[in-house]
Amino acid sequence: MRVLLQSAASGILIGGVYALVGIGLTIIYGVMRVINFAHGELLMIGMYLTWIIFTWLGVDPFVSIVFVIPLTFLFGAFLQTTLINRVLNALPQNQILLTIGLGLIVSNVVMLIFTSDYKIITTGYSSSTLNFAGLRLSTPLAISLAITTVITTILYLFLLKTDTGQAIRATAQDRDAAQLMGINVKRMSVLAFGIGTALAGTAGSLISPTYYIFPQVGGAFTLKAFVIVVLGGMGSVVGATLGGIIIGVTESLAAVYISSGMKEVFVYVLFLLVLLFKPSGLLGSSRM
Amino acid sequence: MRPDAKKARRISSRAKKATFFNIVGLLTLGLLFPAASLAQTVKIGVINSVTGPEAPIGENLGNGIKLAEEDLAKEGIKANLVWEDDTGKPQIAMSAMEKLATRDGVAGVVGPYTSASANAVAKLAQRYHVPLLVPAAAKEEITRQAYQWVYRLNAPANIYAQVLLDAVTEFGKPKTIAFIYENTDFGTSTADAGKKYAEKKGIKIVADESYSKGSPDYRSTLTKVKSFNPDLVFMVSYVVDAVLLMRQAKEVGLRPQAFLGGGAGFTTAQFASEKDISNSVLTSTQWSDDVKWPGAAEFGQRYRAKFGKEATYHAACAYAAMMIMGETAAKQGGDRKKVREALASGKWNGIMGEVKFENYDGYTNQNKHPMLVLQIQRGNYIAVYPPQFATAKPVFPFPGW
Repeated sequence: MRVLLQSAASGILIGGVYALVGIGLTIIYGVMRVINFAHGELLMIGMYLTWIIFTWLGVDPFVSIVFVIPLTFLFGAFLQTTLINRVLNALPQNQILLTIGLGLIVSNVVMLIFTSDYKIITTGYSSSTLNFAGLRLSTPLAISLAITTVITTILYLFLLKTDTGQAIRATAQDRDAAQLMGINVKRMSVLAFGIGTALAGTAGSLISPTYYIFPQVGGAFTLKAFVIVVLGGMGSVVGATLGGIIIGVTESLAAVYISSGMKEVFVYVLFLLVLLFKPSGLLGSSRM
Repeated sequence: MRPDAKKARRISSRAKKATFFNIVGLLTLGLLFPAASLAQTVKIGVINSVTGPEAPIGENLGNGIKLAEEDLAKEGIKANLVWEDDTGKPQIAMSAMEKLATRDGVAGVVGPYTSASANAVAKLAQRYHVPLLVPAAAKEEITRQAYQWVYRLNAPANIYAQVLLDAVTEFGKPKTIAFIYENTDFGTSTADAGKKYAEKKGIKIVADESYSKGSPDYRSTLTKVKSFNPDLVFMVSYVVDAVLLMRQAKEVGLRPQAFLGGGAGFTTAQFASEKDISNSVLTSTQWSDDVKWPGAAEFGQRYRAKFGKEATYHAACAYAAMMIMGETAAKQGGDRKKVREALASGKWNGIMGEVKFENYDGYTNQNKHPMLVLQIQRGNYIAVYPPQFATAKPVFPFPGW
């Protein structure tokens, strides 16, 4: 029983980070209908920014998100205006090729600058734990779950309560109608891509004290984010949150009760089952 | 007709001139030859991974060979090395070997680095009758095929696990063991060798967990392992996964009598520098610069001075292999058959300790290289086993986090 609770708890903790990656991807898809295959690379940029800020300025990785969020937001906005905007009305395969190519360029440029060596951020709390009701919870993951919760709450409030947030949702629901209502859809796209990139970058920051950093780290996260988004329903923020947690817990339980080497199999079996019985994803019908 | 005849005459006169120069050249060479044979030039082939995914480790081997080239020159042996790059691929290593054997006429070959390449090249060495000295490839099969022309300096893969288990059974009386390893060729084969040997030693295997590398979360696997309360935890993993595994082992409070690290990930300076989690971990290696083998410490210093980084066991193995091949080939005048016989009967003592190629337990021409058990103590690798090479006492059992 203790093993079950312990592994469920660590599944939820790691699922929180997955959720953050997924939300970024789903917002970009929701607003622009562009599947961003460079999402993992944006997360990787967040990791390297955190590493630079940590090693050169000595700023704690969790504090560094204060810098990482605006920097990655600007980078995302820049990508949207210069590249993504040109293919918004193009064929889906062209959009996919553009984002895949972008991801390759980003990871290779990073490799040129930082080489392919693995980098590790070691903090005083990297391997410390919190005792909670007899369970041992990883301190850095608990902190990152708390930060994830705060960020997602702010994001929900922003999308539901503010004018800009509603404009973004309107653009996601019907681009043409939103434009007719006087919404600057181009600016909303820039905002959405910026927010999506910032969320990926933040996830990179949050995971870097417990993981390691190398230029090709993004690929695995792109795939995972994609599964999370499809599982939860393309374009649904709540769905992506749910999807992230489900994937985290499934991985964790499969590792304990079946086999660590097979845990990915169960994630994809679950994914296929959802696609078979509810092709639009768990919360597919409701958009944002 | 006329111009043609003129041309022909011109050509024949040029040919005459050429012949004249050739004769003069030959004469000069003939005069120089005794001197050249005094300086003892030997032609030796090197197959290494200079480019491709194995290049970072190939670089260490290359550096070791360059130092050997310098030292051979000091002994009056001019090693004329023919470098071949196999890019980490067996088929390219094979064509390199064919070229070295037939076109370059080398007296012997040192290399290749990877197990796959070395195994492929071994067949050709046997076919072309070229002495091959494998410096650092670990796959057991390489010297288990009764090839008379293939020699190996380093200990094969199964010894990595064996020496660790020998050490801990000497230090204490562990009864149970858990295996955690990445599900790659390297991970599973090292763990399999460990499992077999543990059974032989009467240690019960309570957990057998493979994982796919690169996952950010091993906590659930470690929680499961912890629930069996094993005396020993044996992990096999690459560079950074080793750090994650140990961090998360600390998180979940895993506390065996000893953590054993097999291979790559547990023998890097990066791992050792994580003092919080690396302390008291035991690992096995082919070579370390603080071992009491003649010249080992000097080799470490020279290597650091020349290449600006720590010498790895790959560099030491390659250095020792090239020294042995160079000296033997020079002594036998580059005759392949004599070189092979001299390798089979010879005995050396250098930075890799005593080297002798023997036939035992199904191995042919395999050096019984004693692997070392190192323990990380306050961020440094210290040799703790076997006793004759130990520089400090082991910390056993694991003192806790």
